Amino acid sequence: MTTARDETQKSVVFCLAVFCLAALILPWIGPGSLHVRDTLRFGSLDSYIFLQLRMTRTLLALFAGGALSLAGALFQAMLRDALATPYTLGVSTGASLGAVVMISFGWSVLWGIPATWIGAMVGAGAVLVMVMGVAAKQRRISAFGLLLTGVALNSVCGSLILLLYSLAGVARSFSISRWLIGSVDATSYGSLAVFAVVVIAVSSLVIAQAKNWNLMSVDETWAVSRGVRVRTLLLEGYVSGSVLTAGAIALTGPIGFVGLIVPHMVRGRISSDHRILMPCAFFLGGTLLAVCDALGRVVLAPAEVPAGVILALLGGPYLIWLVRGRL
Amino acid sequence: MSALLQIEDVSFSYPGRVVLGGVSFEADTGEFIALMGSNGAGKSTLLDTITGLRQPTSGTIKIDGKPLADWRPNELARRVAHLPQSVRADLPFTVEQLVLMGRYPHGEAWFDSPADVAAATVAMQRTSCWADRSRRVFTLSGGERQRVLLAACLAQNGDVCLMDEPAVFLDIEQQLRCFDLLAEEASHGKLCIAVTHDLNLALSYCSRLLVLAEHKLVVDRSVGEARRASDWLGYFSNRLQLGDTANGKPWVRYR
Repeated sequence: MTTARDETQKSVVFCLAVFCLAALILPWIGPGSLHVRDTLRFGSLDSYIFLQLRMTRTLLALFAGGALSLAGALFQAMLRDALATPYTLGVSTGASLGAVVMISFGWSVLWGIPATWIGAMVGAGAVLVMVMGVAAKQRRISAFGLLLTGVALNSVCGSLILLLYSLAGVARSFSISRWLIGSVDATSYGSLAVFAVVVIAVSSLVIAQAKNWNLMSVDETWAVSRGVRVRTLLLEGYVSGSVLTAGAIALTGPIGFVGLIVPHMVRGRISSDHRILMPCAFFLGGTLLAVCDALGRVVLAPAEVPAGVILALLGGPYLIWLVRGRL
Repeated sequence: MSALLQIEDVSFSYPGRVVLGGVSFEADTGEFIALMGSNGAGKSTLLDTITGLRQPTSGTIKIDGKPLADWRPNELARRVAHLPQSVRADLPFTVEQLVLMGRYPHGEAWFDSPADVAAATVAMQRTSCWADRSRRVFTLSGGERQRVLLAACLAQNGDVCLMDEPAVFLDIEQQLRCFDLLAEEASHGKLCIAVTHDLNLALSYCSRLLVLAEHKLVVDRSVGEARRASDWLGYFSNRLQLGDTANGKPWVRYR
């Protein structure tokens, strides 16, 4: 038999290599070409564009895409639903609502931090607390219970976003629409470092439980009778997935499909074993978002197409193909 | 010395509905017990409470004299293997990945050890699913899938094997092989409890019969005793008759 150890080493090393190559190559792609010699000269315009704009943007896409993709794989295991995404359980809509509130009130910066970041984190946190509150009252916590509560809150938050959108003026409505499309922009290295540390720490916690996610994705009773504390695992998974999703959304807006496409691609092409699936989904998800962002910089240059649009154009047909295969 | 499994006055109920009402029995190593009863009698619920999937409303369950609540989940999973009544049909895992999951309680390490791989290999060979080891579970028929789940339980190597309708979906030959395997496990010192509706399989392979009716344990007798007095058949149907085959094996006929 081929052991998980052999498969993991080969597949994860390959995906890590792809992730690192993306970090090295993609910052060179953009509407204006960069010259290697000028870029390597510290203080030059090319160096500034490369280091301050494109590199931070590529790294943000790599970590945000990785976080969303891993969250997708996690929620698919938790809910045992191949069509689950980081957006299924309401946290992302809560984050979007928080950001939209900030835009509607015209707050752009609070305490030196972009207000949409604060709004997204507060919105996601509020939904998280509500879902956990309902879950704590359930006699027997289950993925189905989490799903129903999340879907209900998703609907409420979605309606409130529409209400705010319709009440906002033209300029703010445009800002809301632009934010809701989702895009990757240059950010400071300080913000990037905080985000990367959070994503790496939470992702490590999630991946460390990969064997338990294998059991959970079969059945809750299957997991319990193989020694898993299902209630604790579900709550840990929900909090971890929410932190990954909310962190990514706060910095990029609600970028869809990466959490659906990549776990499915890894499951179909590499392995369904979460010890392999989760790290590979992280690395390939980050790579996909960074590639879409780089494509968005050049396809209609000098105009930019948001990465969320490129991903949706790829993800929509993929979803149709997937649903067609399930019917 | 206490019996391996002690069920003491165990009850389970949902709001407004009693499922189990004061069930008590003991079972020990080497026994192969058929747990029977009509639909909704509480058979699966009883197995679920022994596995720790459901908390009894009252009563105590002990494994090796230690109450279930005092066992760490991983320790309990090493002692008790459970075959659920059904699992999802669209699992993307391969057969060998699913069978190896039966070994998860045995190791804290992230990877499967050579011993885990060896145990899973033997379990797949015993259940005739070795040839399908690289196939995805969703491509298997119901009977093939059932054998894979049985292999995962055998790989788990618990001292107590709780099998909820292990022969469901299996063809006649595989039903017999399934009960052969469970009888073999019992002969090696395991305690096997199998939920079944097949009275002839139960009489042919098991050492003891437990019958649940109206949420209570109404029959607890050895197969030998059950052959001598057939009154217990009335709990299933009044159209059954107990007789013998030409070679002296017990056989339940329809009247």
